[in-house]
Amino acid sequence: MITHEQILGKIDNLPTLPTAVAQLSRLIASPTSSAKDFETVIRPDPSLTANLLRLANSAYFGLRREVISVKQAITLLGSKRVFDIAASAGFSKIIPPRLPGYGVPSASFWLHSIAVAVLAERLATELHVKAPGLLFTAGLLHDLGKLAIGSFLENEEASLRDRLAEESESFVNLEKEILGTDHGEVGEELAKLWDLPEAVIWTAKWHHNPNDAGDIDTTLVDLVHIADAMAHMFGYGADLGELSRTIDPNVAQRLNFNIHSLEAVSSETETQIREMGEMFN
Amino acid sequence: MEKLITVDIADIKVSSDRDSTIVTYALGSCIAVIVYDPMQRCGGMIHYMLPLSTKSPEKAAWKPAMFADSGIPILFEKMYAQGCKKENIIVKVAGGGQLYDDKGTFNIGKRNYTVMRKMFWKNNIIIAAEDVGGAKSRTAKLRIADGRVTIKVKGVEAEL
Repeated sequence: MITHEQILGKIDNLPTLPTAVAQLSRLIASPTSSAKDFETVIRPDPSLTANLLRLANSAYFGLRREVISVKQAITLLGSKRVFDIAASAGFSKIIPPRLPGYGVPSASFWLHSIAVAVLAERLATELHVKAPGLLFTAGLLHDLGKLAIGSFLENEEASLRDRLAEESESFVNLEKEILGTDHGEVGEELAKLWDLPEAVIWTAKWHHNPNDAGDIDTTLVDLVHIADAMAHMFGYGADLGELSRTIDPNVAQRLNFNIHSLEAVSSETETQIREMGEMFN
Repeated sequence: MEKLITVDIADIKVSSDRDSTIVTYALGSCIAVIVYDPMQRCGGMIHYMLPLSTKSPEKAAWKPAMFADSGIPILFEKMYAQGCKKENIIVKVAGGGQLYDDKGTFNIGKRNYTVMRKMFWKNNIIIAAEDVGGAKSRTAKLRIADGRVTIKVKGVEAEL
């Protein structure tokens, strides 16, 4: 079993999200921030700016004309949307070529992350759920804990495979059993360390067990829980755990969906997920 | 040199190039229908996501391979266009997996399978072999030279 200190030690060695993302996170929380503040934070980072503009111009964000500057992106999309895109662009830069322990190449991890973000938003629209802000970012970063604990799982890959073959335990429960923690708990630590918004922290922590989240508003966690399951079902970035995951029946009840709404969401998002999924290959 | 032809999600590929192998990855609840005519040495594969296109006619017109009902007939038409005959075509099926979901809310894999079975039953098509269901993600391959189909699950590849 690994200790909390060992995991935190690993977190210290990880590449971090560009500092701009944490600064933007503080800006969106502040009622007095302006578009100009956003621009000042993003513009000095040329690679973040380039990736942000590529994403902003994808069909998903629905702009009718090409944006060529951060300022224009803020004017047309608004600061919250630009934060979603900046977090995505920043995240795409820190995914390692292969995620140890989960057997996932970077392209698959990115595809899974973007799929969950897109599916969660589309699900909210389909179910007429008023989604709290930052649903996209919370969906995108839900698995960030995997960046830190993958290397601890690597030595256990053979026993993990054996246990998964029994098809009785979910992958996240096996993490807990083997490591004494799981990617949700570690994701929470990481999100706090990187100064990310609360929405991201809670979703990273509870996306596998929304019912344990206590008295926070779980709408966002619920949506990501379902989107995550859907992404695995449709093979958007399959990992070692494959379909070994459970659905919380209370979430289905709270969000009030049926199989037809899930099918509608799936058919409408496939092209957008693929477009953004291929963007940073 | 083996040429790999990849079938994406919501996609169909047909080939009679004997050096080629058709492959699709990460079949979760999606299904791959794999067809092969040994007389023509021609094969094809569809990787569909969802059972019925009735509620999404526009999507089905634009991307028919997304749905079983609009996509599977196209796979067969493409085979016929290569000179294949229905009576010679061998049909194999893989995928249709599901999560640990006692209440069946997420039964898309099962629905994908049921709709396909009905279509084949109506059209007198027999499934020669299948590997479906379970909490599995599958990779399916069809070698055009001899029609060999393999399914890889959890790192282990086996002939279907």
